[in-house]
Amino acid sequence: MGKGGFHLETKDPIIKFAVLDKILNLAKANSLWPMTFGLACCAIEMMSTAMARFDIDRFGAGIFRATPRQSDLMIVSGTVTKKMAPILVTLYEQMPGPKWVIAMGNCAISGGPFAFEGQYNLVEGVDLLVPVDVYVPGCPPRPEGLLEGLMKLEEKITGSRRFPTPEQKW
Amino acid sequence: MVKTIFEDIKNSIKGIEINEVSYAERGYHLAVEATKGNLLNIIGLLDKKRFYIADMCCVDYVEYLEIVYLFNNHSSLCRIKVSLKVDPERPVAPTISHIYTMAHWYEREIYEFFGVYFEGHDKLIYLFLHDGIDFYPLRKQRVPVSAEDMKLLNSFKPREEEDTFFVNLGPQHPSTHGVLRVVIKMDGEYVVSAEPVLGYLHRMHEKMAENRTYQQFLPNPARMDYPGALLFNLAHVAAVEKLCGIEVPERAQYIRTITCELNRVASHLLWIGAFLADLGGLTPFLYAFDDRENILDILEAVTGSRLTYCYFRFGGLYNDVDDNFVSETKKFVKRMRERFIMYEKLITKNVIFINRVKGIGTIKQDMVPKYGFSGPTIRSTGIPFDMRTHEPYAAYDKIDFEIPTGTVGDNMDRYTVRLSEMAICLDIIEKAIAKLPSGPINADKVPKKLKPPKGDIYHAVESTRGETGVYIVSDESDKPYRMRWRVPSFSNLMTFPALAKGSLLADAIATMGSFDLVIPEIDR
Repeated sequence: MGKGGFHLETKDPIIKFAVLDKILNLAKANSLWPMTFGLACCAIEMMSTAMARFDIDRFGAGIFRATPRQSDLMIVSGTVTKKMAPILVTLYEQMPGPKWVIAMGNCAISGGPFAFEGQYNLVEGVDLLVPVDVYVPGCPPRPEGLLEGLMKLEEKITGSRRFPTPEQKW
Repeated sequence: MVKTIFEDIKNSIKGIEINEVSYAERGYHLAVEATKGNLLNIIGLLDKKRFYIADMCCVDYVEYLEIVYLFNNHSSLCRIKVSLKVDPERPVAPTISHIYTMAHWYEREIYEFFGVYFEGHDKLIYLFLHDGIDFYPLRKQRVPVSAEDMKLLNSFKPREEEDTFFVNLGPQHPSTHGVLRVVIKMDGEYVVSAEPVLGYLHRMHEKMAENRTYQQFLPNPARMDYPGALLFNLAHVAAVEKLCGIEVPERAQYIRTITCELNRVASHLLWIGAFLADLGGLTPFLYAFDDRENILDILEAVTGSRLTYCYFRFGGLYNDVDDNFVSETKKFVKRMRERFIMYEKLITKNVIFINRVKGIGTIKQDMVPKYGFSGPTIRSTGIPFDMRTHEPYAAYDKIDFEIPTGTVGDNMDRYTVRLSEMAICLDIIEKAIAKLPSGPINADKVPKKLKPPKGDIYHAVESTRGETGVYIVSDESDKPYRMRWRVPSFSNLMTFPALAKGSLLADAIATMGSFDLVIPEIDR
C-alpha cells in the first residue's frame, strides 16, 4: 500500500458457513462484472483485452457494464486527476458490495510518469482514494498483464489459483 | 498570397509593426505586433480574408505576457503570427471571441492558466482546472488568484429552468470516449444547449515540458494522443528538428511515413469500432480490433511497444526496419483491402446505420474559418485541407495521393471520409515501401544535449484527427521555455455545442462520436 494509503478493516463474520462461502466465492470470482470506466491510455488496452484476440470473456469477466450499480469490479485504467477524484469516489460508493478494484497502469498505482515536483493536478495513486486489491504495473500494461491481474484477483477471492503458474523460462 | 496579405495589412492599418520572417526557420510567414488599439482591426481584416484561427496561446516572459494568435488559410499556406504584449501586473486584453468563435475557449484557457482578463468575453470561467487551484499554473512566478477572480471562475452552476432539465453526460459515460463531461440542457428529448466541461484528464503536459529537456519529453506526446501516438511523436520531433536545423536522412523520412500511416489506419479502425458502438452496434468493434491487432503486431516488432510509441528520435529513428517488417506490412495491406469489402457490407450499406447518421450533425460552410477545425471534420465539408499536402513533412511530398472529401459535412460524410482515407493510407504505404531507399537512419552529429537557438517556431503535422501543431519558445537552454500544443480535438469539439443544439439526444451522441474525440489530447 502506498504512502498514507487507504485501509479498510473487515472483521470476520460471527456465524460462518464454510462450504456455502466457498461456493459463493467461486461464483463471485468467476463472474466478475467490470465497469466501463476508461480514464486514459490504459483504457484502450482494457478494450483490447475484451476484444477478439485476448477475450476476457474466457474468464467470465466480459460483461462490461456502463453503470456502477450493476458492476462489482472497478478497473481504474489511467490517470486520476484532482478534478476526477470526487467522481471516482462517488462511482466506487455506488457499486454494490462485495466489490473489488484493480489499479491498472503506473498512473493509477503511483502517478507514474506524471508525478513530478510542482505538479498541481494529480492524485498520486488511486489507493489514496479507494482500497485497491490488485496492482497491474506497466505504461500501459499489456492485455496479458491485465488478465494476470484478474487471475490474482480470483486468487484473492477464492484462495486458490485457477491455473497453475507457468514455469519461469529465464 | 503572403505578399498580398502583407501589403493589405500594411496599407489598411496605420503604424503597424509587420515583418516577413523566414518560413524555414520559424514555421510562419508574417509576424505582426499588435497593440490593444489595433488588435481588433487586424483580426477583423484577417476574418474578412477568410483566415482561420489555428491556435492561440500565451507566453510568460516575466517582464511582459505575450498573447500569440496563429492564423492560416485553407486555400493556400500562409501562416501569420499576431502577438500582443500585455502588462503582467494587470493583464487585460480585448476579446476576439465575437469574431472567431473558437477563441471563446482559447481565451478561457489563457485566463485560467495565465490570469489574462479578456474584456468583453461573456463567460470567463474554469474550463480545465478544478476549484482548488489558487494560482495561475503556467506563470513563471507564483501569482495567486484573487478572491474576486476565484468567484468569477467558479461561477458555472447549472440551474433548472421551467420545462427543461439537465442531463449530465459523463465523465463516466461509454460514449464520451474517456472522461469528457457534457452538461446538456434538455427540453423533452431535444437538446436546448450543450456545454462541455473539460479538464478531467488534465495531465500538465505543457508544464512538464518546461521542466524537462527536449529528450526527456519524448515519451509524453504519445500519452497525449494514444490511438495516434506516432503522429504526435512526429509533431514534437519534427518541430525540434526544424528549430535546431537538423537534417533527417531520406530513409528515416520514408520509414516515418510508413509507420505513421500504419498508425493512422489503426486509429481509424479504433474509431470505427467506437463510433458504431456509440450507435448501438457492437459487432464491428470486434472486427475492427481484430484488424488493429495485426497493425500493432507489425509496429510492436519495430518500435517495442503496443500503444504508446516513442519511436522517433531527433534526427532519425530508434532502430531500423528489417525485411520482416516490409513483408508483414505488404501482407497486411493485401488483407486489409479485402476487409474493406466486408466493412462496406457490414456498415456502409446497413440501412439502420444510414438512417442514424445521414443528414445529422451537418456543418455549415460559414462555420469553417470561425472554428478552425481540421482533419476529417473539415474534409467532410468538401474542403481538401490536409497538412500532408498543405504543408508537407516527412516524405509526403515525394508520394502522390489524393485527399478524400465529403459533400455536405454530416456524420455520414465524416464516416466515408475516414473509410476512404484508410484505403488511401494503404496506397501511401505501398508506394513508400516501393520507394524505400537504403542508407543511414540517423543524422550525424546530433548533440546529446540539444540547445536550440533563441526564438520561436510553429510546426504542424496531420494527426488522425487533424492539424496538430507545436509552438516552441526556446531561450537557448536545454529545456523549452514554453511548449504549446495545438490539438485538433479541442477545436473539433468546439463545434459540438453548435451542432447538437436542437437535435435529439441520440443524434447528439452520434455527432459526438463522429468527431473521434480523444480526451487526453483535449485536456493535455
